[in-house]
Amino acid sequence: MPESLAQQYFPLLVQILLAVLVAGGMVAAGLLIGKKVKNRVKEMPYECGMTPTGNARERFSVKFYLVGMLFILFDIEAVFLFPWAVVFRELKLFAWFEMVTFVVLILAGFFYIWKKGALDWTQTETSKAHKPPTALDLMLSDELEVAGRR
Amino acid sequence: MDFFLVSLIKIVVVFGAFMTTLAYLQWVERKVLAHIQLRLGPQRVGPHGLLQPLADVIKLATKEGLIPANVNTFFYILAPFLAVSLALISIAVIPFGPEIELFGVRTNLELTSLNIGVLLILAISSVGVYGIALGGWASNNKYSLMGGLRSSAQMISYELPMTIALATPLLVLNTLDLRQIAERQGGGWFWNWTAFSYPPLLFIAFIVFLISAFAETNRVPFDLPEAENELVAGFHTEYSSLAFAGFFMAEYANMVTITCVSTTIFLGGWHPPFPAPYSNFVPTALFWFFGGVLLFHGLTQPARRWDRFTFPAFGVISLGLGAIFLLAATVLPIIGQILLPVFWFVAKVGLLLFLFIWVRGTLPRFRYDQLMRFTWTFLFPVALGCLLLTGLGVALFG
Amino acid sequence: MNSLFPTSADFIRFAPEIVLTVVGTLLMLLEPLTGDGKGEKPQLRWLAIAGLALAMAAAIFAYGDPGPAFNGMLLVDGFGTFFSVLVIGTGLLTVFCAQDYLIREKQENGEFYALLLFSIAGQCIMATANELIILFIGLEISSISSYILAGFLREDRRSNESALKYFLLGSFATGFLLYGVAWIYGLTGSTNLATIQATLAAGGVNPRLLALSAALMFVGFAFKVSAAPFQVWAPDVYQGAPSPVSAFLSAGPKAAAFAIFLRVFTTAFGSMADRWAPVFWGSALLTMIVGNFAALRQDNIKRMLAYSSIAHAGYVMVAVTSHSTVGTAAAMFYLASYAFVNVGAFAVVSYVAAKGEKHVGIGDFAGLAARQPLAALVMTIFFTSLIGVPLTAGFFGKFYIFKAALDAGMVWLTVLGLLNSAVAAYYYLRVIVVMYTHEPSVAVNELEPASSGLQFGWVAAAAATLALGIFPSALLEFASRAAILR
Repeated sequence: MPESLAQQYFPLLVQILLAVLVAGGMVAAGLLIGKKVKNRVKEMPYECGMTPTGNARERFSVKFYLVGMLFILFDIEAVFLFPWAVVFRELKLFAWFEMVTFVVLILAGFFYIWKKGALDWTQTETSKAHKPPTALDLMLSDELEVAGRR
Repeated sequence: MDFFLVSLIKIVVVFGAFMTTLAYLQWVERKVLAHIQLRLGPQRVGPHGLLQPLADVIKLATKEGLIPANVNTFFYILAPFLAVSLALISIAVIPFGPEIELFGVRTNLELTSLNIGVLLILAISSVGVYGIALGGWASNNKYSLMGGLRSSAQMISYELPMTIALATPLLVLNTLDLRQIAERQGGGWFWNWTAFSYPPLLFIAFIVFLISAFAETNRVPFDLPEAENELVAGFHTEYSSLAFAGFFMAEYANMVTITCVSTTIFLGGWHPPFPAPYSNFVPTALFWFFGGVLLFHGLTQPARRWDRFTFPAFGVISLGLGAIFLLAATVLPIIGQILLPVFWFVAKVGLLLFLFIWVRGTLPRFRYDQLMRFTWTFLFPVALGCLLLTGLGVALFG
Repeated sequence: MNSLFPTSADFIRFAPEIVLTVVGTLLMLLEPLTGDGKGEKPQLRWLAIAGLALAMAAAIFAYGDPGPAFNGMLLVDGFGTFFSVLVIGTGLLTVFCAQDYLIREKQENGEFYALLLFSIAGQCIMATANELIILFIGLEISSISSYILAGFLREDRRSNESALKYFLLGSFATGFLLYGVAWIYGLTGSTNLATIQATLAAGGVNPRLLALSAALMFVGFAFKVSAAPFQVWAPDVYQGAPSPVSAFLSAGPKAAAFAIFLRVFTTAFGSMADRWAPVFWGSALLTMIVGNFAALRQDNIKRMLAYSSIAHAGYVMVAVTSHSTVGTAAAMFYLASYAFVNVGAFAVVSYVAAKGEKHVGIGDFAGLAARQPLAALVMTIFFTSLIGVPLTAGFFGKFYIFKAALDAGMVWLTVLGLLNSAVAAYYYLRVIVVMYTHEPSVAVNELEPASSGLQFGWVAAAAATLALGIFPSALLEFASRAAILR
């Protein structure tokens, strides 16, 4: 049986080395082997054969950031569960009540973001709030203003 | 014998087997999908397309490794590298069988037994998202960007229920060492496995874990990152050659790893579903049954010309395997101690892998808002509720 | 060693924080459930008031049985209870003073009250913390809620700017503090204040590294109390944040920050007072000068009050510098009087500023006395207290502080501090003169009468100011007894 820490982690180290070798070898071989023919059209971003439009480094929906932040919040909770689970049998009901308190607090936040629509991907808060005015809206508002001045 | 030498031998064997599995999983998937859809699948290269993986590798390797203009070259190359290398690491802490003694050497049937095994797997699987996210972002392609973003959001969202569902059996097992986890489920019938203790709580946790595992590996019905009818191929649209193959390999490697983890934690690892003296003959019975079926079909009603030769050949191989297992179970315990646990482990992993393929052949894809709503408003609360109820159960009756 | 399991005494001593957290969470949960009543949610307001009142009762009840809780992590003593009650009282006053503003901006919702309660819970933890980690957690709970409160008007650019500046600089300062805590833990092997004190008193700790860690913690604390040279954030934050939030920020978090400042530097670092006192001396003087002289030049009243709040932090720093029981008591008394005055003053500002906080110039206060005599009267009381005129709380606050400084032999600091107060009188008096002698401005003419809640807030703050100014002895006696920190 492996006793020391070095003996425990040695196989893992070798495995990581192997994995890195295989991955590096694959990527390198893919780039090096094979005929190279370069032309401008081939180097374009692929958009189903059409000429690419716009920029791929656009700003994207804030929802993705929101999910990232929510994940951090709740993942901390999830990580906290592991040490708790390992010593659970020693603490029994006490640990259970402590965790219920913790989870209820977390779930209160969860309920809040749920009801606030942070988890709803069908419509965003901003799309409701900042609907750009249409031409008709602008014309109507102008006319109203003129009418009001008279 | 030297510990390091034994380790190296084990690593070579495991790594070889693992890579072969990855190569042939692709073949199995295509075959199974084909049969679900009443097709034949790969048939040309070798008997029943058995050499197809090799042909694929040669084909992909000889293709041009294209680096399109305006990509972020460093991250573009780093992404498949990360995806592959991270996917191949976790297998090191999976136990395939008990401690064995071979020629006076005592060793475990696994590469290494770490007291933080579960955490290591979680850590590596959560870093795995970087490969896909970076690949999608670096490609300078709108489809790739969308694929990468979707994938990041999806993987981190499903990681929550997965982590919680993984913590639930730990309440019963109270260790993070995968070897001890497997050992604590052994010795008797299948209801000692964690998936069946405190019914139905841990079985629900198991299902939650499996569903999240589908999403974590970007498999159908959660394959939105590569949804071909909207994103072409998502995050790997701009990849070609072996870098492209790398993403596929990573996906299969993740699939194998995650099924191995579910087997170890939920399904009793290498332990048979019922006690030892009887369960030892199950492999023989199974192999002989399949051998018989193959022989019968090949000799009496071959559907195609070559089946007359290939089916009986496979049948004989199967009968031979059955015989080897019979010997292992009766007179050669030195082989039996390796073969029988590994058989049960591989059988469980194989069943779960088949489930992955089966689902792919059966279910349509989610819409993105459905996908996110499903994990946040259903899986996450269910997993938490399950965890707390299990905790209560363990605290009161454990 | 105590048992791992908490006892009922632990829970009673922690009750104010529990009440605040539970009610805060409840407010957060009820927010999406209570419908959109045109930006008015009086039921949540009353729940917040009830929660704060209950928390205050719990804090007072907990003082019936003072002592450590949770293995010495918290320490309920007179000092902690004083500050707990003070920040909860500030919160109550803020709720009353904020309601007009929130309704006007159509922003009265559960989040405001929930964040307010969370922030106060953090400040209560700070007040009773007896351990550097708990102290840090309390500080973070308080700060993070405050950052969000400062940016409460999501659509308002100034509010966003304020929140972002506060957040970035605040987290930077917190980093300094945490680094100092880490050093202290490394040097003494403990984060418990009493143990640190004992270890330092026993000697043998590397003096340079100790000075470094004390300096790092000083930076963190000085930022939180907006003492020079770490005061630059305060004007921008107070100016941009919604007025009721500025009121709260300049009272609650500042009082709690001074509480931990005093506790850490008089207990843990008490034995090395002769080494940190010169730094404090300089910081106190600089803070007073910067605050007062910058305030002279301000036309925006929120900015002026921000600089004035810096200057007042300087006066309290004088009390901290004196490092004596008298000084601590004086600081406590001063913070109490200052908290009520400042919340009240900002409440009047938010009233005059009207919708969108358009009218925040000093000229906008012209003729307030003719149109809204009550507002002008309470504002006069607050400003006379800020000047330090006798019969107001500010007079006794300053009196005790400079007395403590003289007792500690800091004659020069006292003289300079008094000169500073004289300078300060100018900018406060300017507002009073404008209110009483000038013709009413457009802003004042458009004002609608204040709601009864806001008026109650004004009168309560003014009454507290006068009460402390006429009968200071009761509070001061309590403070003197509580100021003996161990």
